[in-house]
Amino acid sequence: MTDPGPSPPPEAAPAATTFAGKLALKQRAGGIIVPLVTVIFAFVMSGIIVAATQHSVHTALVVFKEIFDGSGLNWIAHPTTNLFNTSAYNLSQTLLQTTPLILTGLAVAFAFRCGMFNIGGNGQYLVGLLVANWLGVDLAGLNPFVHVLLCIVAGTLAAAAYAGIAGVLKATVGAHEVITTIMLNWIAYWTASWLVGAGGPLQISNNPTDPVSNQVSPSARLPDFWGVQGFQGLHVGLFISLAAVVVFWVLLNRTTLGYEVRAVGFNPDAAAYGGISVRKNYIRAMAISGAFAGLAGTLDMLGGAQNYQIGQLDIPFIQVGFIGIAVALLGRNTALGTLLGALLFGGLLYGSFHGLGSSSVIDPTLATNLTYIIQGLVVLFIGADILILYIWNSRKKLRPPTAGKTAKPAEAAS
Amino acid sequence: MSAWAARLENPLSARLREPTTTGFLGIVLGAFAAFLAIPPIEARTVTWPILVGIVAAMLGIWTVTRGRRRLGWGAVAAGILGIGLGILATRSSSSNLGATFDSTLVAQTLSFATPLVFGAVGGMFSERSGVVNIGLEGMMLMGAFWGVYGADKGGSWAIGLLVAAGVGGLLALVYAFFAIHLRSDQIVGGTAINFLAVGITGYFFVQLYHNNPIPNGVSLLPNVHIAGLGNFLEGSVGDLSVLTWAALVLVIAAYVVLFKTPIGLRIRACGEHPRAADTVGINVYAVRYGCVVLSGVLAAIGGIYLSEGPQGNGTFLFNMTNGRGFIALAAMIFGNWRPAGAAAAALLFGFSSALALKLQVYSQSAGTLFQILPYVLTLIAVAGVIGRTVAPAADGKPYAKQ
Amino acid sequence: MSDHVADDLVLEMRDIRKEFPGVIANDGVSFDVRRGEVHGLLGENGAGKSTLMNILYGLYRPDGGEIRVNGKPASFSSAREAIQAGIGMVHQHFMLIPVMTVAENIVLGVEPRGRVLLDERGAEQRVRELSQQFGLAVDPGALVSDITVGQEQRVEILKALYRGADLLILDEPTAVLTPQEAGELFEIVRSLQADGKSIIFISHKLNEVLEIADRITVLRRGKTIETVSGRGATEESLARAMVGRDVLLRVEKKPSQPEDVLLSVEDLHVCDDRGIEKVRGVSFEVRAGEIVGVAGVDGNGQTELIDAICGLQKIESGAVTIAGRELTQASARAALDAGIGHIPEDRQRRGLVLEFSIAENIALHDYAKPPDARWGWIFPNRMIQRAGTLIGEFDVRGGGPYTRAGGLSGGNQQKVVAAREIARDPKALIAAQPTRGLDVGAIEYLHRRLVAERDEGRAILLVSLELDEILSLSDRILVLFEGQIVGEHTGDVTEEEIGLEMLGGKEAAAA
Repeated sequence: MTDPGPSPPPEAAPAATTFAGKLALKQRAGGIIVPLVTVIFAFVMSGIIVAATQHSVHTALVVFKEIFDGSGLNWIAHPTTNLFNTSAYNLSQTLLQTTPLILTGLAVAFAFRCGMFNIGGNGQYLVGLLVANWLGVDLAGLNPFVHVLLCIVAGTLAAAAYAGIAGVLKATVGAHEVITTIMLNWIAYWTASWLVGAGGPLQISNNPTDPVSNQVSPSARLPDFWGVQGFQGLHVGLFISLAAVVVFWVLLNRTTLGYEVRAVGFNPDAAAYGGISVRKNYIRAMAISGAFAGLAGTLDMLGGAQNYQIGQLDIPFIQVGFIGIAVALLGRNTALGTLLGALLFGGLLYGSFHGLGSSSVIDPTLATNLTYIIQGLVVLFIGADILILYIWNSRKKLRPPTAGKTAKPAEAAS
Repeated sequence: MSAWAARLENPLSARLREPTTTGFLGIVLGAFAAFLAIPPIEARTVTWPILVGIVAAMLGIWTVTRGRRRLGWGAVAAGILGIGLGILATRSSSSNLGATFDSTLVAQTLSFATPLVFGAVGGMFSERSGVVNIGLEGMMLMGAFWGVYGADKGGSWAIGLLVAAGVGGLLALVYAFFAIHLRSDQIVGGTAINFLAVGITGYFFVQLYHNNPIPNGVSLLPNVHIAGLGNFLEGSVGDLSVLTWAALVLVIAAYVVLFKTPIGLRIRACGEHPRAADTVGINVYAVRYGCVVLSGVLAAIGGIYLSEGPQGNGTFLFNMTNGRGFIALAAMIFGNWRPAGAAAAALLFGFSSALALKLQVYSQSAGTLFQILPYVLTLIAVAGVIGRTVAPAADGKPYAKQ
Repeated sequence: MSDHVADDLVLEMRDIRKEFPGVIANDGVSFDVRRGEVHGLLGENGAGKSTLMNILYGLYRPDGGEIRVNGKPASFSSAREAIQAGIGMVHQHFMLIPVMTVAENIVLGVEPRGRVLLDERGAEQRVRELSQQFGLAVDPGALVSDITVGQEQRVEILKALYRGADLLILDEPTAVLTPQEAGELFEIVRSLQADGKSIIFISHKLNEVLEIADRITVLRRGKTIETVSGRGATEESLARAMVGRDVLLRVEKKPSQPEDVLLSVEDLHVCDDRGIEKVRGVSFEVRAGEIVGVAGVDGNGQTELIDAICGLQKIESGAVTIAGRELTQASARAALDAGIGHIPEDRQRRGLVLEFSIAENIALHDYAKPPDARWGWIFPNRMIQRAGTLIGEFDVRGGGPYTRAGGLSGGNQQKVVAAREIARDPKALIAAQPTRGLDVGAIEYLHRRLVAERDEGRAILLVSLELDEILSLSDRILVLFEGQIVGEHTGDVTEEEIGLEMLGGKEAAAA
């Protein structure tokens, strides 16, 4: 059998076989432009919503100014380490939000690079959170350094194992990781509710009806390095997150493990032919991905949160894994991009929460929801590079990468 | 000779001996074993569950020896589980059981299953045409909010229903544009839809109701009253929402449309082999648009049941779907992309929710654990332990016209 | 009325132009078909045949030119419009849905219906009538996944006839058929012709076109070279027109000097992914310094055989030995380490990671070994250095070590694959379809290289669907049919003899 005619010119990029491959192609086509335009687009469209519902363009502009100031990013204009300065305090809180987002973003990105969509960051985050809580409470009185390390390692490994389930199912029976990780999310969610619910094993000891866990012991707390007594400080978990960014880059680009992961992500057939075990890499990459998300959970537990509460609709608890998807996509699944994406969403989350919480022009409770809308728009547009590139670059019509039609196996076989 | 004729000519006894049949029979019997001990049958001895359970396990072993290993072991597990649950049930007090396994359990099962059926059948249309729709959750949420808003402002549940369907369809149309025309990754797009729905419903709930609950007295979805059926039956189905009955009709209609009409043939063709459909002149994009929008409409109708049905009572809560869209997705997968299968899975999941609610009276924690069941079962199903679920061949693959 | 009354043209295409980014696929092509004729459309891969037909069938929009069907100007923007104008197309890759029945596939899009419901019985009835009328035996109720390739092709033809096609396009119809099935197809084509249908027969096989076509149009690089009568033409004249020069069919090589056995396969049984046994007791040996060719129609177990040797597919029973090392249940990694080189049949799906750079692709087998890596740590500079050397040695054009493999042309991609495999100094080299879809220059290079590697003392197993390639390169030829070796030849053997064996001799005759 031979190729049918010249329709894909030999130079044309053929259709990528995996999602990671497609993303890589789009990345090459879009570069930094797509993320930037996406963000601008999302802000403009959410601004239109605000302007329309508040009947004032001015209000919309003020809202974004307030979000920006609320995030503390205006600190750059007047840098100070004095935390009684509002912008410095806000910045510390933004970075506190950014800490887990970097990690859940890396989790999603790592799985992407192996051609998988880890939509289960939330579940893995919860596993890390709960294990850290359990050990943080139960092993009270240990040497603080040992205690913290133990909690972090155990929570991370537990989350890795939990995500590994999805990897194993994909590797052995070909179950799609999107379906399995969605299911694992909700299994983790309800298990967590059971654990801290009335009569549950992790439920608070001094009040049998309160659906909340014990606080971790002081020996298991991550020390704050920038904070005010009595306020929520910025803990050293930030540095662990930043270290994780470096680890992510090194792992992918400088180790044989990373080479295998990328090869499998781009083209599992070629990887297998090259002597790489595709199954092993699916399991391994999923576990590493889960480890990043689990690490986020342990840091949040030992740092800011200290306990877990059922139905706590704080954004970090319910959505941190999902925001990781937006972070990773916006960051193009690269180390640096993920870091910047996390900073954007961290700022957005805290900025809208804080900046609009005292807003004079808009109902403060709209804030969180506006964040969700912006987040949704970002994810929606980031997935639609064709549109973005078309708008950005309408002079030079860009050929969509998927249009190359090397006989796709599913369609050619019959 | 057609394959259908061949199937018919096989004598019944031969079909019964097929390992697939015995395996499924074993699983059903295993489940039945547990039910023998609870009302309305309520055998107060352990003998019956044990006997039936053993038969189930034996059928399972026979199936294993005939080569269908996974199915066989599934039946063995079901038999053993049935025996265990049966013994447990006979040991616990009869009055407790009576309070748990009564006619309201049936009614609640049907009630919990209703939104799932709408979501699952909607998702099935979308996926049968080749578009994965994990945005069901968001489309449901839109239905829940805009439905109750429409009923409140329009003064009638019927207007609410129309508004819900319209908004659900609109959100699905946005998704369809990204998934079909822009060939976005469908998982990414669906995730975006879920975020958007949370944000939009939350934003407008605050904007339109200024942080107050929706006022009392909103026109609710009516119930259909049927009298004179006898105690148990009347308690079960005598007072169900109109949408529950509509769900029943929907399942039958979905089956007929998908498998007995030309349009159904075309939908399936688009999901299996879009190029083949394109080359015979079927407009793949149009079919997919239609199916995705339909899935949004149906999911939103499922969503309005949450706010406007008997459980919601005209209230809206932030992110009130709380994963039901994903359970609907699970039901569709568990039901192997078929209407009857999806409905059966929705009933099973509805049952586990109803049971969780009932069990909360005795043990909060046991009730919570039951909520996990649908997710675990789906995990097992996609892992291929009980038969293998097979998605349409082109499901989730964007189609580029040439 | 048309001014071609005497000719009675069903189809006229004038100055058709179609450009893809970077390539002009059709550059002023003109082409016409008379009523009731079989018109052969001949050209190499990439000559523009499929593009031209996709334009006719409404799948592509032409950038310029004119189409007339039955004398009237026509411009189809979709397949539906082409179908309505009486044009039917049988694609090279069949457009059938495996999980549906033959009848459902045929009526799809033009379904017979009751008031609302699909009239399944009516559909099967109609298919049965058509299949009798044109002598195309199929079972309307069978699932497409259960029927043979030859039957699938009949279903495709019926699909077109059901839609009332007068002009049938057959795109490379014999590519997937055995010579016997091809013979049956020719019968069908003649009977369709007798019924007044016009047929465009696309092929790059000279003998077939000469046998069946009344007139032949040759395309080369997107241009019409000539239209000739089938009677006057010869293989040589057509071949010259196709490639623009005399084709060098035979490869210069010395007689082989076989030495030690380097690759041996003993009573091998292999199943495919669906559990169907595709290799059923194959045994053979390849010695150092010889090229053993495996001939056969696609799908007779070639893929599974190669994959089993390379550790990519599980072996049910039997043994594989490389240079004395038993590799029967070994992994792909172990097979590579034992000295297997493998140029895979699909370089884009398997041979290369298109998103990787050339350097990363060249490291695909040895990325974890010194000098590329040590203790799990990769040294990209060493990969790049090595790639640079090989790019020079194998004359890879169009990029350096950092260039993305997907950006190279097909021939250069294949050179990267060959460079990687040969540079590892394998004992046994398996080349599967090494020249598929390549231009003449690249084909010649690879053929010469394979012979050179043979002379270096490697054992070479050449698996190809192109009989010409097998005949011109091999020192010994094995014929594979339904997973078994049905013939072995060392000396001179004709294409016909092997062709007959590719059918499986007696077994096929009985079918």
